[in-house]
Amino acid sequence: MKTLIPAILLASLTIPARGFAQVPYDRIVKAESEPSNWLTYAGSYKSQRYTQLDQINKQNVTQLKPAWVYQLRAGGVFETSPVVVDGVMYMTEPPSTVTALDVRTGRPLWSWTPKIPDDVIVIGSPPVNRGVAVLDNMVYAGSIAGHLAALDAKSGALRWDVAVDDNKIGYYLTLAPLAIDGKIIVGVSGAENGIRGFVDAYDAKTGKRVWRRHTIPAPGEPGNETWGGKDSWKTGGGSTWLTGSYDPELKLLYWQVGNPGPDWNGDFRPGDNLYTCSVLAINPDDGSMKWHFQFTPHDTHDWDANETVVLFDATVNGRPRKLLAQANRNGFYYVLDRATGEFVAGTPFVKQTWAEGLDAKGRPVTKPGLDPNPEGILVYPSIQGAANWHAPSYSPKTNLFYQTAVEMGTIYYKGEAVYKPGIGFTAGGGRTINGDDAWSAVRALEATTGKVKWEFKLLSAGRSSLLSTAGGLVFGGTEEGNFFALDADTGKPLWDTQLGANIRGIPVSFAVDGKQYVAIAAGFALFVYGLP
Amino acid sequence: MEMTKRWMSASIAALGFVVLAVPAGAQSKADIDGGKLLFQGMCTECHGAGGAGGDAPSLNRPRLLHAPTDAALVNIIQNGIPNTAMPRVRRFSEAETRQLVAYIRSLGKLSDAKIPGDAKKGAEIYRSLGCAGCHIIGGQGGNLGPDLSDIGFMRGPSYLRQAIVDPGAALPKGVLQVPSRGYAEYLPLRIVTKQGGEVRGIRVNEDSFTIQVRDQAGKFYSLRKTDLELLEKQTGKSLMPGFSTRLMPAELTDLVAYLASLQGEQ
Repeated sequence: MKTLIPAILLASLTIPARGFAQVPYDRIVKAESEPSNWLTYAGSYKSQRYTQLDQINKQNVTQLKPAWVYQLRAGGVFETSPVVVDGVMYMTEPPSTVTALDVRTGRPLWSWTPKIPDDVIVIGSPPVNRGVAVLDNMVYAGSIAGHLAALDAKSGALRWDVAVDDNKIGYYLTLAPLAIDGKIIVGVSGAENGIRGFVDAYDAKTGKRVWRRHTIPAPGEPGNETWGGKDSWKTGGGSTWLTGSYDPELKLLYWQVGNPGPDWNGDFRPGDNLYTCSVLAINPDDGSMKWHFQFTPHDTHDWDANETVVLFDATVNGRPRKLLAQANRNGFYYVLDRATGEFVAGTPFVKQTWAEGLDAKGRPVTKPGLDPNPEGILVYPSIQGAANWHAPSYSPKTNLFYQTAVEMGTIYYKGEAVYKPGIGFTAGGGRTINGDDAWSAVRALEATTGKVKWEFKLLSAGRSSLLSTAGGLVFGGTEEGNFFALDADTGKPLWDTQLGANIRGIPVSFAVDGKQYVAIAAGFALFVYGLP
Repeated sequence: MEMTKRWMSASIAALGFVVLAVPAGAQSKADIDGGKLLFQGMCTECHGAGGAGGDAPSLNRPRLLHAPTDAALVNIIQNGIPNTAMPRVRRFSEAETRQLVAYIRSLGKLSDAKIPGDAKKGAEIYRSLGCAGCHIIGGQGGNLGPDLSDIGFMRGPSYLRQAIVDPGAALPKGVLQVPSRGYAEYLPLRIVTKQGGEVRGIRVNEDSFTIQVRDQAGKFYSLRKTDLELLEKQTGKSLMPGFSTRLMPAELTDLVAYLASLQGEQ
């Protein structure tokens, strides 16, 4: 073995970038040890969206300049989080195209677009895609047609394609898949169509489904008793539309679950509606559930719990703990023990008017009379939530959890609905209090308590995804097009530039030829910035 | 049977419904009532009670600029109107969309309520007050305030009345910075820079790091927020004076009638 190691090193030195190297599972497990690449959706299985690269830092960030720009060939809402492997960037274009770019120049190497039927059903979000997974020599991507595809990383040729579920009854995919040991894990969108959500695992080589974990229990399964009303579980929603996290040591997969259906009229479904608005700890071998934690029992405000869960370790009350944290759409920041699901801490991180607080087990103590009604009722946070798909970041250097917190209310309305496959099943809606009356802020929360250490106000109630760096920076982008860097310790703005359109992309960092870069999508283009 | 043009267009509208899987047919009272409830829930804030107009155009007219057919109206509800404050509303069910269309069409069956007042006299008042110093109509006038060439199409009479009496309470909701996000346009600002300079004017645009301002003389300023000592947004105020004490009630009514008659090229 000793002779083999230098051989690998030599190979990687002699064919940099053009190697299209394999990404075995072990490389993803140790993603933090090779910060020049960005190997998975949120940077590592911990989903910290943090880079060890420190070449761009507080002292020189003002010198950042564009390195290259990649323009979409068509428009659309561009929310990608690129993956970077050995000189190649794999990113997705709306609605479901996968493109490989030369990371030095932005020149395309290949591009693949799945067949999307004209009558594709996408209800509940714009037709977006948030990125790919890479494992060994394959690239994996979901589509709004409800499919999961495996592509050859070198050529973009299709290796296999499976229908995850039927788009005609509302299932579709917008998330970046998660690649673990031999398996590709995906969730689905569609709770606004009255789907029954699930998390699926597919054999990475063949595309054969290994297991399916439904998020809404059927009769006879634990939790089904939380679904009152006739057959309400069948249309109970519980989408799984954003990428989960993974702890290879505990061998637990953490996957977040969205709102119950119909969204705004809880009369259809008396009870807690497990496992909607929850996080599930899943055994990746068979899909069995080790524990669950429900953030918002019997949600009636569309407060999905799909927001990214971040894994980190810290000492709490003198005891080292393996923790999981989420800034939830319902306005509370939660810290759980990720081995057991035990509630550790929780506190509001925005203005919220619906709960007195959380009890000792983390269950909200709700205020009466704030369910949507036909006349409309103002509740904070908004229908789009205090948090949403936009990515948080955690820096192990500052022990701060960075989150763009949306300060906005909504007048919520309750309506009626009749379930019909493929048609919206929401029973109500809302009107947001917007314009000058709404705003957002990048907030740095003490990770174990949620206490706000600093905030940087943004003009609009936008959803800035964040990236923190070992260079002491937090990068993000505003609704008005500002790509910016803040001081990770103080929140002081250090640099900004105008990219000319709203920024929906999710920032990542990588290095090539010894130089660090930061990439973010804005409007219809992907921008890559570096030092001169 | 020979089809009159009127019948033909009704058939085409019905065909549009078939394509969209929203059944055509008479606007039943139940549909109209259901649609009214939804309209009150989602639309009144901008389009006014009963669709009489407010921030957004009135809808109680037989012909809607962007929605000549029911199919077009469904499309607008589902997809919004680009570059306007009209958002897309995707979360109505098929039945709800049908109800909403039924209700909006029922509004159009009323003829536009007759706007009281004498528009000719109103035009005289407009001239005598010097409104053209700040407003453009048909290409003529000053540019500090909004162009009024089609204001009667864009706004209902109650909004126009309020904008004359208390302009600060009726700042238009903008679409410039963030489409459909409802920022106030013509928002008065008082700014003091860290170097001690003072700027008073209206907000032209703003982002999280910068602000763009135009003063009364039309001079344009681009400022970085980190360079400012004070950034005061004078919400509820307007650079336009209120005319509640300067006009007799009949004059106000005439002026509203004149503005309501300005329909642009629609």
